[in-house]
Amino acid sequence: MSSEPAIFFSDPNERQGSFLRRTFVLGGLTAVGGLALTGRLAQLQVVQAQEYTTLASANQFNFRLVPPPRGRILDRGGVVIAGNRPSFRVLVVRDETKDLDQTLDLLGRLLPDTVDRRRSIIRDVNAAPRFSPVPVKSDLTWEEFARVNLYANELPGVMADMHEARFYPFGGAFAHVIGYVAKPNDRDIEAIRERGETVPEILYNPGFRIGRQGVEKAFDTDLRGEAGGTRVEVDARGRVVAEDIGGSRPAVPGKDVILTLDSDVQNRALEVFGEESGGCVVMDIRNGDVLCMVSAPSFDPNLFVSGVPSRIYNALRDYERKPLLDKAIYGTFPPGSTFKMTSALAFLDAGIDPTERVVCTGGYRYGARTFRCWKAGGHGAMDMHNAIKNSCDTYFYHLCNRAGVDRIARVAQDLGFGHVYEIGIAGQSKGIVPSTRWKREYTEATSWDDDPTWYPGETLSVAIGQGALAVNALQLAVMTSRIANGRKAIHPRLVKSVGGVERPSGAAVPDLPFSREHLDIVRAGMAAVANDVTGTAYRASQLGLGDIQMAGKTGTAQSRDYRPGESRGPRNAQWSRRDHALFVAFAPHDAPRYAIALIIQHAPSGGSADAAPRAREIMKTVLLKDPDMRARIERPLPPEPQAPAGADEGEGGAGPGGEVTGAAAAAPPPAAPAPPTATSGPRPYLAEPPR
Amino acid sequence: MTASALTRPGERDRLSTKIAELDWRLIGLLAVIACVGAAMLYSIAGGHWQPWAAKHLLRFGALLIAMLTLAMVHPKWWFRAAYPLYGVLLVLVLMIEFTPLGYTAGGARNWLNLGFIRIQPAEFMKIGLVLALARWYHNHTAQEARWSWKLLIPAGMIGLPFLLVAKQPDLGSAMIIGLTGAAVMFMAGLSWRVIAAGAAAAVVAVPPFVMFGMHEYQRNRVLTFLNPEADPSGTGYNIIQSKIALGSGGLLGKGYGLGSQSQLEFLPERHTDFIFSTVAEEFGFIGSFTVLACYVAAILIALRIASLAHSHFGRLAAAGMTAFFALFVLINGAMVMGMAPVVGVPMPLLSYGGSSMMTVMFGFGLVLSTRVHRYAELPKGHGLF
Repeated sequence: MSSEPAIFFSDPNERQGSFLRRTFVLGGLTAVGGLALTGRLAQLQVVQAQEYTTLASANQFNFRLVPPPRGRILDRGGVVIAGNRPSFRVLVVRDETKDLDQTLDLLGRLLPDTVDRRRSIIRDVNAAPRFSPVPVKSDLTWEEFARVNLYANELPGVMADMHEARFYPFGGAFAHVIGYVAKPNDRDIEAIRERGETVPEILYNPGFRIGRQGVEKAFDTDLRGEAGGTRVEVDARGRVVAEDIGGSRPAVPGKDVILTLDSDVQNRALEVFGEESGGCVVMDIRNGDVLCMVSAPSFDPNLFVSGVPSRIYNALRDYERKPLLDKAIYGTFPPGSTFKMTSALAFLDAGIDPTERVVCTGGYRYGARTFRCWKAGGHGAMDMHNAIKNSCDTYFYHLCNRAGVDRIARVAQDLGFGHVYEIGIAGQSKGIVPSTRWKREYTEATSWDDDPTWYPGETLSVAIGQGALAVNALQLAVMTSRIANGRKAIHPRLVKSVGGVERPSGAAVPDLPFSREHLDIVRAGMAAVANDVTGTAYRASQLGLGDIQMAGKTGTAQSRDYRPGESRGPRNAQWSRRDHALFVAFAPHDAPRYAIALIIQHAPSGGSADAAPRAREIMKTVLLKDPDMRARIERPLPPEPQAPAGADEGEGGAGPGGEVTGAAAAAPPPAAPAPPTATSGPRPYLAEPPR
Repeated sequence: MTASALTRPGERDRLSTKIAELDWRLIGLLAVIACVGAAMLYSIAGGHWQPWAAKHLLRFGALLIAMLTLAMVHPKWWFRAAYPLYGVLLVLVLMIEFTPLGYTAGGARNWLNLGFIRIQPAEFMKIGLVLALARWYHNHTAQEARWSWKLLIPAGMIGLPFLLVAKQPDLGSAMIIGLTGAAVMFMAGLSWRVIAAGAAAAVVAVPPFVMFGMHEYQRNRVLTFLNPEADPSGTGYNIIQSKIALGSGGLLGKGYGLGSQSQLEFLPERHTDFIFSTVAEEFGFIGSFTVLACYVAAILIALRIASLAHSHFGRLAAAGMTAFFALFVLINGAMVMGMAPVVGVPMPLLSYGGSSMMTVMFGFGLVLSTRVHRYAELPKGHGLF
């Protein structure tokens, strides 16, 4: 095509010739470049195609773990006490955000409360594994959820979704028994590794929780279930575009755990404690089912589910009355006079005649020391029945060394003290039942006291439930159950079934080594405490439920050594210097069914004024929930009708018991007892003023 | 009726003749590329004309008319406009730097706000530079072009805008300006020895420049290119995702509209700088090779056009514009295939974006004008116009 001669006789021709040669070079270079690109394309698209196809599908498809719904925890009636509820939350994926600071700025405008927590959010987000979503806020309102979704396009790396959060509808009432769940931490993962198990991947899922305390912890593997998986197609921002049904595996929900607890009783129990600190255990004496196990004051386990703010945690930890401590099974207390049934049984066992009388003059001089009776003026001549009824200390001081501390210790152990029960949850204290052997071993182990010899003077303290004795509320309830049962060494049972599989009953146990006559003497004494007008807890023990009556024993235990001359903790003393108030009881006293043990730590007054009325309220709730008891209450009154015994107690008469009695009297006799529809809802509770 | 050496005088200046003289193969190739671009933009938008495909086609249509109009302009007008255009553009680039009219977008201060219009002078600077250099060489001898002190003038003409644009900092544009200028000097007949020395000097100068002369983000891009796997979610993300898109396309591609990398937005800048990856993903090696072949064919046709021009100005202007176009294609291609650092260089005509398309189409207007007026002789003009 070129029409120019290639002869360089002039400069223009030379320029053209040079240009033409360079054109070939440039064209050549372009061709080489094109070939290089083609070669590279062939390498990527033909040779390495398989490899990159895999990478592309790894981008496109995501196998997402589907957390299993955690098993519920139910009370004996099927009421949910730990369940799951849907919750909207916002998650941040660090590696998908363009700029974390900027993202949080915008997020802070949508969710103003994230601004305050910004520092901890940044820490969490930076600590999380790459591309792993970190929840920054849970429990969004619908408006907040909608707002975040609206701005999703401007917030790469931020997603809002719905998940199931653990929920404890009764708040503090069950906090110590069922515990709570929390985010798995490094120590949990380390612990699993140390056991030689593989760490389930679901543990790294945001929002996944493991049990931390109580039933939640003890039955964590049962409650947890098995994670499922979904194969989803996602876009670059991690948003799910489509779901692959074929490649998905459903999650296996966790098993339900049914407890023997009764939520009405439990709620009522926490309620009657009011501001006081302490523990309460109620047991069915026929099979050992624990109906109530409360520690007060309590805390709201819901706070722990999404991480408790340190301000609240510190307040709980530092509060003098220790809400985080379980005072039903972990806290131990001297049993005080509630131990006197044990001592009495030991006396009977030693062959002491229950009719033998001891004259109480208000104290007992032993060696160089005077042991005082709680009644400064003395009780006069006391036999065993009256000594229990009046809680006369002198009687027990007198006779205890005829039984000996080892016999008392043996009886105490037979009644359930000094023992840790297999109730499914951890955190029980064994307590202390002193004996000569205990003292020997204790001094050897601690060298706290150089002298390993047991002195008879120490037995005096043990006989009235003081000294080194330490028991927890559960053991007191077991003791009361065994005395009430009279035949079986009942064991407590807290977990009724796991995943539909029943757990062994507490009644499949050996017999008690006590004779019927001995137990009858003790029980008669307890009945007199509650029903004899002169009994220590007469006023506080009147249930007002027809002819159903309690049998019980009060206790006021020293929480420290008194100074010489000081006989009782001053009423207005500083909280931590006051006495403990205790009350154990069973009902009905003529055909026992339920036993209760209640401890008030550092009570303002004592066992009869602080513990007994509260125990009565709880017992009332228990009895009213039992259809047999209700039938008995609603039965026509006996030929000589008595006014409800709550006549001197405004509250007893006003309670539902009184109303039910009245209704039953108006329309006798119901052919079949009506089912207990009106259970005891929350009612105001007023502690009785001290005598 | 095609023109030839024997065409009667005056015949060549008739519009019908001029239109017949247009290289329809080249125009066809450019149209094919632009249409493939529109098709890909339609696919990326999830099968919608909005927001890109329709605008892309509309722009191409308008610029096609502009290109054909420019092709009708006699090279003498290009020749006369060369120096003033260069001067004006240089002033505009200076205005960005030294007046408050310049403003920053996307990290570089490379826009100029003239009140009634906002422009990127660096884009037009490439055309202005090619024209100015062509005019300068047109007036000088082969000997002077090979090696003389006078070469300081074209070197300065290149260096001034290069430094100004690099300072904005728009390294991609600066590099294109520098390399385009170098290509014109090369085509004008620069001595091989000088070229070798310059290449050697560049090789020696690049590492220290990367380490000390660059901004943090620019250095990161270069280091990332050298080892993209070092930070797969950060600066290496683009390269890795682009390679995955290319590789997973395989021989035949995933099918139109079915590219998971681009459809699900794993591929960044999929409608602009990385659109070639989308082509490769959805149409496979066959498709990407075809598009690449179209580009190479267009470049070779344009070089052929350059070689036919009678005037030295026409030759160098057309070759310069072709080199400019080729640089875009090769740099973008190498970039999306992980063979070059990520610099903001789009694939001309395929990528969405008005500035680069305008420059390229004006450039091809110049090439076609050279073809239409290939017999035109231009006097040596030493004046300003």
